[in-house]
Amino acid sequence: MNFKAMPVLLFFISWLGVAPAAANLEVLTCEPEWAALAQALGGDKVKAESATTAFQDPHHIEARPSLIVKARRADMLFCTGAELEVGWLPLLLQKSTNAKIQPDQSGYFLAAEQVDLIEKPVSVDRSQGDVHADGNPHVHWDPYRLLTIAVAFRDRLQVIDPENDDYYQRRYEAFASRWSDAITGWEARAASLQGVKVFVHHKNWSYLLDWLKVEAVGDLEPKPGIPPTGAHLSRLLNTYKHSAPMMTLIANYQDDKGALWLRDRAGIPVVSLPFTVGGSETSTDLFTLYDDVLTQLLAVP
Amino acid sequence: MSSIDMTICKPLSGQNTRWLSGVLLSGWVCCVCANPFNPDISLILDGIYKTENTALSEYESGFGLGHTELSMRGAVDDQFYGSLSAVLESHAGATEVELEEVYINTIGLPAGLDIRAGRFLSQIGYLNSHHTHSDLFTERPAVYRALLGAHYFDDGVRMNVLLPTPFYWRMGVEAFNGRLLTGGESTDDIGVYTLNSRWGGDFLGSNSWQLGVSWLKNWHDPVEEAEDHDDGEDGHDPDGHAHSHDAAYSGENMFIADAVWKWAPHGNAQLGQLILAGEYFYVDDLNEYATDDDFNEGWYASVVYRFNPRWSAGVRYGNVELKEIHGDHFHDQQLEEGNVMLAWSPSHFSTVRLQYTNQQGEGFDELNDAITLQYVMSLGAHGAHEF
Repeated sequence: MNFKAMPVLLFFISWLGVAPAAANLEVLTCEPEWAALAQALGGDKVKAESATTAFQDPHHIEARPSLIVKARRADMLFCTGAELEVGWLPLLLQKSTNAKIQPDQSGYFLAAEQVDLIEKPVSVDRSQGDVHADGNPHVHWDPYRLLTIAVAFRDRLQVIDPENDDYYQRRYEAFASRWSDAITGWEARAASLQGVKVFVHHKNWSYLLDWLKVEAVGDLEPKPGIPPTGAHLSRLLNTYKHSAPMMTLIANYQDDKGALWLRDRAGIPVVSLPFTVGGSETSTDLFTLYDDVLTQLLAVP
Repeated sequence: MSSIDMTICKPLSGQNTRWLSGVLLSGWVCCVCANPFNPDISLILDGIYKTENTALSEYESGFGLGHTELSMRGAVDDQFYGSLSAVLESHAGATEVELEEVYINTIGLPAGLDIRAGRFLSQIGYLNSHHTHSDLFTERPAVYRALLGAHYFDDGVRMNVLLPTPFYWRMGVEAFNGRLLTGGESTDDIGVYTLNSRWGGDFLGSNSWQLGVSWLKNWHDPVEEAEDHDDGEDGHDPDGHAHSHDAAYSGENMFIADAVWKWAPHGNAQLGQLILAGEYFYVDDLNEYATDDDFNEGWYASVVYRFNPRWSAGVRYGNVELKEIHGDHFHDQQLEEGNVMLAWSPSHFSTVRLQYTNQQGEGFDELNDAITLQYVMSLGAHGAHEF
């Protein structure tokens, strides 16, 4: 009988233990790039944490218990949107029981809603693969869009935490000035990449390539989200027999088999890049991430 | 989110359009205007071919349809969301529509509270609250088929609380009508109560775990001396278990312990994933004649390894020891089942699965080896990945 009463007892005892309120604004982000941005703008008033790492594909995450705990205590949620997290974020929000971070609340912030997206499909049909109706969600690879997102996030921080609005403004100004200088430097360094042709594993580099005026002439994935097949890779090789692209770009969390196959067949170098902050030893924030990727692209002979 | 923005078709700036593979774009392009006021709609197509009848199975031999499921879900307002899942099943020429889940759920109540009302899958055990189309084998383990009618859903209400602990700890209580568990009569309005506690977390970046304990109290009349579930003969008895979701065996108290461990390289489940799961069931107080020695007991353990994005293989083994009610006494039954499966998922939305089932035991007529070929495909809204 005691055994049967145990769960009821535990249920009520556990009600008594309420966690102390956190001093900082806790921001849960879906991807590491947004944690880096939130931390840069929020400084010591914000504690930002990412639900995924640079080695995880943000399309394929489960609303697992550890994430539910993080979502429960978050004051703000900062995600990409544009259906990137459609497979797990809605469920995570439901399970979090956290009113502050639900859609339409001020604690719910999506990067993709702050900027225009490219590669918007005219129609969406699953036979095209895992396409996003709203457009390409990987916006953190355009430094200009990233700055627009930073402005919107600063505004949101000021709404949620008006007491510190001067602080957030100063942090933003410092970030924006450093970022703009960095853009000038990157554009000068990357001038030689203009017009270069590359293969990509997945369409997640589109914003970067648009910015650098690099041309992606083929995707290793036959359709977005569909793993490369031998037949498709052979077709790619045949098409570009006489004008082989300079390199194949993959994110270092992606399967490199297709890219290595092309390298072995046609000698196209594989560049395995960190996709986001934390993806390589040197990529500790957004500045070093961009630096690292440009350095690797420029190192290809 | 601005709902107006989403329904207005925006121009695509020219510099960005050259990338769109195979699509001619110029000037104004109408987006696929996602409408936030429409519910998500999804359709699951599930078909099966099975070489033999097997004991306690939901499926007969030959071609058949599994759970064809039509779901709609969405936010009602900022306080509630609603969900409907209708399952169409075809048996012996007749098509049945069953409302498997129709519920409303609160959004963001204070103090980690969460309330659901309507008809829904009970959260006892690990698999029970999962929709069958996300299963990794063609059928639920034998212990689920015997004691929960494969999956137990009912009309009732649930209250959960997500505790403010640094690790995951959720406790919940459910009250159900109870009619859909045993199909029996009841004089009580509330025939079933459940209590559930669940813990979980991550370790070393690549591993996730979850543990749960559940207790189900059933005030309902026990399953009567059942002429249609003792031999596994399917298809001609309208109340046979071939398409009834009632549990074939019941008792007043059911205890379940479940454990799940998942591993993925760097926690990136896209490339590969190992899933270990196991559950133990114990049911006692079977009826007024039951002594301390009369109880139902069962367990299963499964290992599934997705070794690349498209392919996964798995093994499951389980055993269930049952007491079949015959008036004032019981007949022993036992079913030991092993499954080996291989599944191919060309995309996130389709799976074709080949499974071999081996059954041994006593007290069942149709203990057979069977090979099953199954497809499970989804259309429409992207389903969420429940842990």
